Amino acid sequence: MAYEFEEVLETIRMTEIEHFDIRTVTLGISLRDCVDRNLEITKQKIYDKIIKYGKYHVEYAKQVEAEYGVSIANKRVAVTPISIPFDNYKMEDFIEIAKILDKAAEDIGIDYIGGFAALVQKGFTNGEREMIKAIPYALSQTKRVCANVNVASTKAGINMDAINIMSEVILSLAEKTKDEGSIGCAKLVVYCNVPEDNPFIAGAFHGISEPEVVLNVGISGPGVVFDAVKEAGRCDLNTLAEKIKKTAFKITRAGELIGNKVAEKHGIPFGIVDVSLAPTPAEGDSIGDILKAMGVEDVGAPGTTAALAMLNDCVKKAGLMASSSVGGLSGAFIPISEDRAMINAVAKGHLSIEKLEAMTAVCSVGLDMIAVAGDTPATTIAGIIADECAIGMINDKATAVRIIPIYGKKVGEVYDYGGLLGEAPVMPVSKLSSENFVLRGGKIPAPTRSLTN
Amino acid sequence: MRISEEEIRKIALRAIEELGNKATPDMVREVVQKSFTKLGTMPEGYSEKDISTGRIILTSFGFNQPGIIATITKTLSDAKIDIKDLSQKIMDEFYTMIMLIDISNSPKDLKELQEDMAKCAENLKVKIFIQHEDLFRYMHRI
Repeated sequence: MAYEFEEVLETIRMTEIEHFDIRTVTLGISLRDCVDRNLEITKQKIYDKIIKYGKYHVEYAKQVEAEYGVSIANKRVAVTPISIPFDNYKMEDFIEIAKILDKAAEDIGIDYIGGFAALVQKGFTNGEREMIKAIPYALSQTKRVCANVNVASTKAGINMDAINIMSEVILSLAEKTKDEGSIGCAKLVVYCNVPEDNPFIAGAFHGISEPEVVLNVGISGPGVVFDAVKEAGRCDLNTLAEKIKKTAFKITRAGELIGNKVAEKHGIPFGIVDVSLAPTPAEGDSIGDILKAMGVEDVGAPGTTAALAMLNDCVKKAGLMASSSVGGLSGAFIPISEDRAMINAVAKGHLSIEKLEAMTAVCSVGLDMIAVAGDTPATTIAGIIADECAIGMINDKATAVRIIPIYGKKVGEVYDYGGLLGEAPVMPVSKLSSENFVLRGGKIPAPTRSLTN
Repeated sequence: MRISEEEIRKIALRAIEELGNKATPDMVREVVQKSFTKLGTMPEGYSEKDISTGRIILTSFGFNQPGIIATITKTLSDAKIDIKDLSQKIMDEFYTMIMLIDISNSPKDLKELQEDMAKCAENLKVKIFIQHEDLFRYMHRI
């Protein structure tokens, strides 16, 4: 036989039992040629272009799923950050653009579309100000549109004015979607060092250096890594690292194959594989469980950050070996509400925002899907975002904040969003004030790259 | 569907050979269409056969009982599918079978085969997975 018995069974086990799936195939579409002085013509151009390239996106992905027996959980679309081509528009116009994106997404049969985005780490254009003002309305009046705003980078520093505006936007969005547990905030990410080719919603957009149209893939597979760690038993950390790398290598290879095949069907270039471990609320599909299998009693125990750092690094190393086109966020995601073990750790009081923040210094993204009380002051949210940006800026990595101040909810309560968003326990936040710091405004200057102590 | 340059060259040469000097656009179209059909693909629309090779891995497992392999191989032979390799293991009441099959000469495509096998699996109360070989090659061979 060309393949060992065990090899074939290993693949079947991964796809059938351990929840290995391709998390997302994301079609990136440039909207830079869709601008017109007349808003109605612009809207038509946007709609036509998304339909033109995206019409068969779901269909092609399903065909590839069937051929290889690997399920593709999400089929999505990312577009050019809309503040760039449509910079001359006003707030009301941006809301209209969000609505047409929503309609196009619905018509091609996808659940989310990313790219209601702006890059303001160094400052705002007039259009960007208008677009950011539009976010609470746009996301509360649409279902599928996701927004992200980059407010800091290692090269530009941290734009505190942008952070202050974003924390007001988050609270306003929470209030506007209060009937559904402030779900609007789950569709809004505030970034530092945003990657331009990330296929994962809600932070996906089609970067300005990307081609006309491209297909990016985000893999997943915490379940597969979890089983590998369990199987490794009581070995030393070097052996464990090897085991994780081997597993991550295999799932990346599968991801690259699937991505290439979907791109081939579209007849468009294949972009990148995002080698990420993305959890879901499903049993056995959790990053927290991997950390526990590595040996910490629960997420949040001393040693958690070290375990996560090792896990993250192994995934990256294996991914780089397995594919020549690794990009996006690539690492382990540690959202709270989307990960069963993380939810439990918060509910038991084992995991605080402070510990989570330390973990984000070594994971792939940041404070993701964390719910806080609805009456959390804007300046406290700004402080949390600024802290997270500082970690990203100094360590030259992507960090992000997706925080949900659930309207009317208090610490200890839980809101169940259902589906992939999972259930969010409201986490306690320090009552100490950040006001006099964040409201100084202005910018934290870009850091030095030497004297790195 | 991607067609390699060599294939295009072959088709062009065949068209020149067949038509000589008296070619009209209609005649060229006809010859090219025919050549594409021979390649097993049509230039327009999607066909399941445009996957790189026709090699498929069929995996089946469940409780052992007489007639499992007979039923599966009968379905394969009815569809003119070639079995390249077969290996199986039985542990107590539980069996696992892996087959490497080639569907390039079959009138059925992968999707139809999957539907047939789904019926087999239901009748036999076992699990049957049909996956393209590339997946295994990508994951287990560098």
